[in-house]
Amino acid sequence: MAQFDKYKPVILVISRELLLTALLLLGISMVVFAILYLAPGDPFAVLLGGQLVSESERQALLESLGLPSTWYGQYFSWLGHMLQGDFGNSLRSGVPVAQELVSTGLNTLYLIVGAMLVTLGFAVPIAIYSVSREHSLATWLMTILTYIVSALPLFWLGYILIYYFTRQLGIFPVSTSSGSGESLNWLHLVLPVLLLGIGNGAVGEILRHLRMELQRVMDEEYVRTARAKGAPVWRHAFAEGLLLPITEMVAAKLPHLLGGAIIVEQVFNWPGLGRLAWQAALDRDYPVILAVAVVAAAMVRMGSLLHRFVYISVNPRASQEH
Amino acid sequence: MLFRQFQVEISESNQLSWWRTAGRKNKIYVIYGLAVVLAVLVSYGLGALHWLPHDPDDMNFDSLMAGPFTGGYLLGTDFMGRDLLTRLILGTQAYFLPGLMAIAIALVLGAVLGVSAGYRGGRVDTVVVYCNNLIDSFPRLILVLLVIAAFKPDIYYIMAVVGVTAAPLVASLVKGKVLFLRQKNFIESAIALGIPARVIIIKHILWYNCRALLLIQATLGMAEAILIETSLSYLGFGVQEPIPSWGNMVQAGANYLLQGNFWPSTAPALAILFTVLGFHLLGDGLNDILERQQ
Repeated sequence: MAQFDKYKPVILVISRELLLTALLLLGISMVVFAILYLAPGDPFAVLLGGQLVSESERQALLESLGLPSTWYGQYFSWLGHMLQGDFGNSLRSGVPVAQELVSTGLNTLYLIVGAMLVTLGFAVPIAIYSVSREHSLATWLMTILTYIVSALPLFWLGYILIYYFTRQLGIFPVSTSSGSGESLNWLHLVLPVLLLGIGNGAVGEILRHLRMELQRVMDEEYVRTARAKGAPVWRHAFAEGLLLPITEMVAAKLPHLLGGAIIVEQVFNWPGLGRLAWQAALDRDYPVILAVAVVAAAMVRMGSLLHRFVYISVNPRASQEH
Repeated sequence: MLFRQFQVEISESNQLSWWRTAGRKNKIYVIYGLAVVLAVLVSYGLGALHWLPHDPDDMNFDSLMAGPFTGGYLLGTDFMGRDLLTRLILGTQAYFLPGLMAIAIALVLGAVLGVSAGYRGGRVDTVVVYCNNLIDSFPRLILVLLVIAAFKPDIYYIMAVVGVTAAPLVASLVKGKVLFLRQKNFIESAIALGIPARVIIIKHILWYNCRALLLIQATLGMAEAILIETSLSYLGFGVQEPIPSWGNMVQAGANYLLQGNFWPSTAPALAILFTVLGFHLLGDGLNDILERQQ
């Protein structure tokens, strides 16, 4: 029992986070549903090949499909199906959306994880190096570079990469068109990952945040104590000074990366979620774009949940809050 | 007489002190940023009045993809022999007014939410934080694509989305400022004097103390609007050929870029780079100056 009491605050905090995430996911589904519900023109009209259906015909159609005619009925039926993993069928290809989501989602996941690693691969060493060296030449250069990179159009940089690496040097292949049956391997992924990792404009912000947090923790008294008694400083500064800001930035920049992925996948014909969303927006393929929006937002929430868990485990005071 | 002189001195020093205390770096940032703002305004005006060096649709097949400074074309021509400078100037039409609309939505919505969360606190604050988290969950481009699919690929719909999604950041900044100001004596005395809450909020909080913050957010918002507009034009949802936009100019030149003809695609890319850079630097420079002043 004493054992349980010790963990009670932690369990409370974690359940609070889970509840908040669940509430947000519910809100996300409502926002997405509302946008589509307010859309002019009936999704059913699109389904019937552009024919305008009269109100009575529409009611008959809804009834024959077993769909409720009120908006809340439709919302709950949609939500219920979605919770069972049924996102409906794509209007364009007729394939179940869930099936398309899995294959493209994995491709986008590779892209995003790789890009995040590239970004951190740049930001973390430079942040560690530049702590305590505020006005060094390297810091100044990095500031200028990050300003330029965050203002550069990603798609143009992508074509430059393709020109030099694929056309001139012939190193990394680029997939020629989506879904033409050619096998994609890790070589196809190198350029998109590099582009999204460097060109997403997050490098500068992550670098600045990491440096600031690391500097703050290095100035803390417990680090000074550790240094004074000859204990390894890094072991004491790592969790709060590096791990926490990294997960915070990863969580905060996830929507940024997912948005950038749309452009990058377009430039490199990479068959991921972004290209799926683009195609769906072109075709007004409602089930697909709905599913992509919900999945992307859910991914963002998961990232932020992960950050909260790291925060709770690193910072013992977290369970005392509220 | 002496009193007047003092008054003039005080007001003068107040007006210029922010510029005197600004570091050299920030001065360069702000001057460059203002130059870019001016260039955008002039381009917009020229485009609106049709005072252009060439006809934007006039094709000259004798000089396709000419480099800069050749044959009377200051910045060269694109793959159809159309003057690049003219098309770049006209490209500002694609984002300027929609961008202003996005900024207006972001600032008004953000200020309202931020003030109500900071001034009233409690339940209103909880709701605002929840809404912020909700909007922050969506990647901006995906939300834009959703709206495009649901409604139509219209730039004003797109910019409405940009404005609404930019509001949470403005709201959180305004909220922080309001929480800071509420402890100040002058707000407390204003409340004690019985000045109505709307006057305190609009005049003393928003106008006197938040206008700089809102201006900075406006410049950063314009940069965001330009990046979104060019991205969407690149993706084929924004302005359509033959009407020029910097995004669709990069896209149209991309095939030629892959064959080694860099310029038709690079010129609009550089225009995006220098413009967005200008708005970023202006916002960050002003922000830095203000932070130092405090």
